[in-house]
Amino acid sequence: MPRWLVAVGVLATAALLLALPHVLSFSQREVLVFMTINILVVCSYRLLTLTGEWSLGHVVMMGVGAYASALLAKKVGVFVPLAMLLGAFTAAMVALVLSVPLFRMKGFYFLIGSFAAGEIIRLLWKRFRDPFGGPKGIKRIDPMPDFDLGIWNFTFFDPVSYYYFALLVVLAGLFVMWRVEKSPIGLVFHAVHWQDNLARSAGISVRAYRTLALVLSSGFAGLAGALLAHYIGTVNPNMFDIEQMVYVLTWAIVGGTATFYGPIIGCVVLTVVNEIVLREIGLEQGRPMIYGMLLIGTVLFLPKGLEDLFHRLSRIGLLFSRQPRGGQ
Amino acid sequence: MSEALLEVRNLSKRFGGLKAVDQLNFSVAEGAIHGLIGPNGAGKTTTFNLISGFYRPSSGSVLLSGEDISGMPMHRIARRGLVRTFQHSTLFAELSVLENAVVGTYMLYPPQTFAALAGLRLSRDDAAKNRARQVLEFFGLLDHADELARSLSHGHQRALGMAVALASRPSIVLLDEPFTGMNPEETRGMMKLMFKIREAGATILIVEHDMRAIMGICDRITVMNFGRFLTEGRPNEVRRHDEVIEAYLGKSKQNA
Amino acid sequence: MLELLLQTGLNALYAAAYLSLVAVGLVLIFGVMGIINFAHGELFMLGAYVVVALYSGLQMPFVLVAAIGLVFVGCVGILMELSMFRQLRGNPLGGLVASIGFLMVLQALVAMGFGVRMEHVPPFTQDVIILSERVRLPVQRLIVIIVAVMLLVALWLFLKRTKFGWALRASAQDKEAAALQGISLRTTSLIAMFIGGALAGIAGSLTAPLISVTPTMGHSVIVAAFIVIIVGGIGSLEGAVLAAFIYAFVHTGVTTFLDGVIADIVGLALMLAVLVIRPTGFFGSADRA
Repeated sequence: MPRWLVAVGVLATAALLLALPHVLSFSQREVLVFMTINILVVCSYRLLTLTGEWSLGHVVMMGVGAYASALLAKKVGVFVPLAMLLGAFTAAMVALVLSVPLFRMKGFYFLIGSFAAGEIIRLLWKRFRDPFGGPKGIKRIDPMPDFDLGIWNFTFFDPVSYYYFALLVVLAGLFVMWRVEKSPIGLVFHAVHWQDNLARSAGISVRAYRTLALVLSSGFAGLAGALLAHYIGTVNPNMFDIEQMVYVLTWAIVGGTATFYGPIIGCVVLTVVNEIVLREIGLEQGRPMIYGMLLIGTVLFLPKGLEDLFHRLSRIGLLFSRQPRGGQ
Repeated sequence: MSEALLEVRNLSKRFGGLKAVDQLNFSVAEGAIHGLIGPNGAGKTTTFNLISGFYRPSSGSVLLSGEDISGMPMHRIARRGLVRTFQHSTLFAELSVLENAVVGTYMLYPPQTFAALAGLRLSRDDAAKNRARQVLEFFGLLDHADELARSLSHGHQRALGMAVALASRPSIVLLDEPFTGMNPEETRGMMKLMFKIREAGATILIVEHDMRAIMGICDRITVMNFGRFLTEGRPNEVRRHDEVIEAYLGKSKQNA
Repeated sequence: MLELLLQTGLNALYAAAYLSLVAVGLVLIFGVMGIINFAHGELFMLGAYVVVALYSGLQMPFVLVAAIGLVFVGCVGILMELSMFRQLRGNPLGGLVASIGFLMVLQALVAMGFGVRMEHVPPFTQDVIILSERVRLPVQRLIVIIVAVMLLVALWLFLKRTKFGWALRASAQDKEAAALQGISLRTTSLIAMFIGGALAGIAGSLTAPLISVTPTMGHSVIVAAFIVIIVGGIGSLEGAVLAAFIYAFVHTGVTTFLDGVIADIVGLALMLAVLVIRPTGFFGSADRA
């Protein structure tokens, strides 16, 4: 692809992302903020699956970031953007501690173990009113402080402002994850996933890299949680329950996890289906139904996810002519 | 005879009540091409897995350059210079040939996590690629560097498996049935490669079921049967050994 | 104090009884098909909603309704096998994900049909056996215990004494050997799914008047069942029953003397501890989900 074409593509995408909230209704703008944050969640989830492990505790890690950031801002008075970073760091550290027991397991046992660990954390939030606020959680979390950029006055109660802010953070996160995947570390992740014994024989500590993937992915999930907490101003244990986890799992699987863009496609398509289509025809409660059927349908008929569909289409359009690692 | 690089002492492995390896002793001299043979079920592969750290021994020990490595995890043993290959051309099928070799250089040039997070390219990453190309050239695979490993021919896949193992310049490499399924021409090519590997400075321990190929290249051969040491010697000594003939013939009678 | 202990013991016995029914089916399905059925809690929930529809709704006799619950949910199990698991043989992660999809569909269907509010199921008997002033056993709970024991014994006899039972056990141990005996994995999978579904269904039907019935009630049941099968050593039916007792006593005990959330934490921690100390599947790559 010629350089200028790439530049035009990047500029067009940037313009589209900037213009997007202005063509939407107010409630759709809110959904857009959530979707942006969810993209970070689902992409960080994929980072973990690069080493071959599937967790059911990822959304709880998001919650750890949300709770930590909320508490730091509210009880300690930490400047909100800094609290968010510390929230992400807390999630990463909690993941590091959890990796000690969890990575004695693999496959299904890791899945169940991560669920148990996540539920324990969630129940601790529920049980201990101080400092976690019990079942009702934490309310009136400090919002992002407003500031004036000259060309745009950021008032973060407004979804458009928060969308720009979240977009910036999420893109930065995605960029780092993308770089990691394309770096030699990403190569080692792939090696650990597909031939763990051959990787060991090459001197790679499989456990160390599984831990690295878990810590990184949890850190980004925590960042996403912090973004969410300071936007809606409240966190509670139910926001991070297994139902949310299943939604993340659905985005990832329906989109496909072999490529970087697969989970993003899954998240965007399902959010649009859910929020635009279902809400318009008044079938919002049908969400689990649609998600469930899509999940079954994907596993049965499109095992590589929507990305595969895009991939086939792109062969005609040469849209993504370069095949990413781990693609079919 | 030079000093032993690898020494196996009273090595035993039990699976439940079954003694897969029983009080095995042998040693591999530095710079040798050493064969470990025996009929099916003799415990060769288990021995191999015990040495490389894939299994933990029930008792006994494995010494590498005089240091006890028994019971260490596989990646630790690899870092001490003992690397193995796997049967059935185990490779990273979805990676390119070059990327496979780069994984093999992990111990020489371990990637730096923080550099990856920051998106920095380090000199060691380039060094890893150069070393990978070097080892591919050694095995005659440089022309295929950008192909996916799974699209290689069978013989090339076998060579790539060895390239991955040797990319880190191990002091000893354990080859798991390198001749299985090869035609005579491929076998000759593989034998040449082994001499080349030794010239490059690595000691070789081969586990092989097929006796013919191994006779031509090994300096010494250790024979196992029923998990125990049977005999050891130079190829022509082993070939004429009564019990070895019996062990193999007895087995083939059963198979017939 | 002794009376409190006795009462706690009786409560635990009842919890262990219905939990065993759910867990045993889960183990059977895993053993034969290698699939972890996440929708098993929803099969339990369906059993309860059969009671809501036919007993509290249509006023049919409870015994008949419970039998219908058993057969109906067993058939849902067969439906799962035919529509999903059969196509996903040899793909445990796929089977697991499909079962998660199925549980969402079941929850949504029930929520659409009955609403998400808690259903009130009238008790089929009000009688309480008074063992002493403070030790009481409602007859409804006694019936759950008796039926569970009967069904578990029946299952045990089926597995040990009949040709199909033998086939089921064989295919749990060695799929190829079982196939050589002329009993296909298709047949054993259908039987396993029917039995698994039926046991979860009747457990749900019998306990419907005793617990809060909502479309999401399967959640806590499946979590408890997972704890039970892990603690019992996955794949062992006897272990599952034993672990159901251990878990029920620990959970009921902690709930009585401390509180319910702590009891949940203790249960999950127990499972984590078992997973850490004895991480089955740490080596073999065949059983990777």
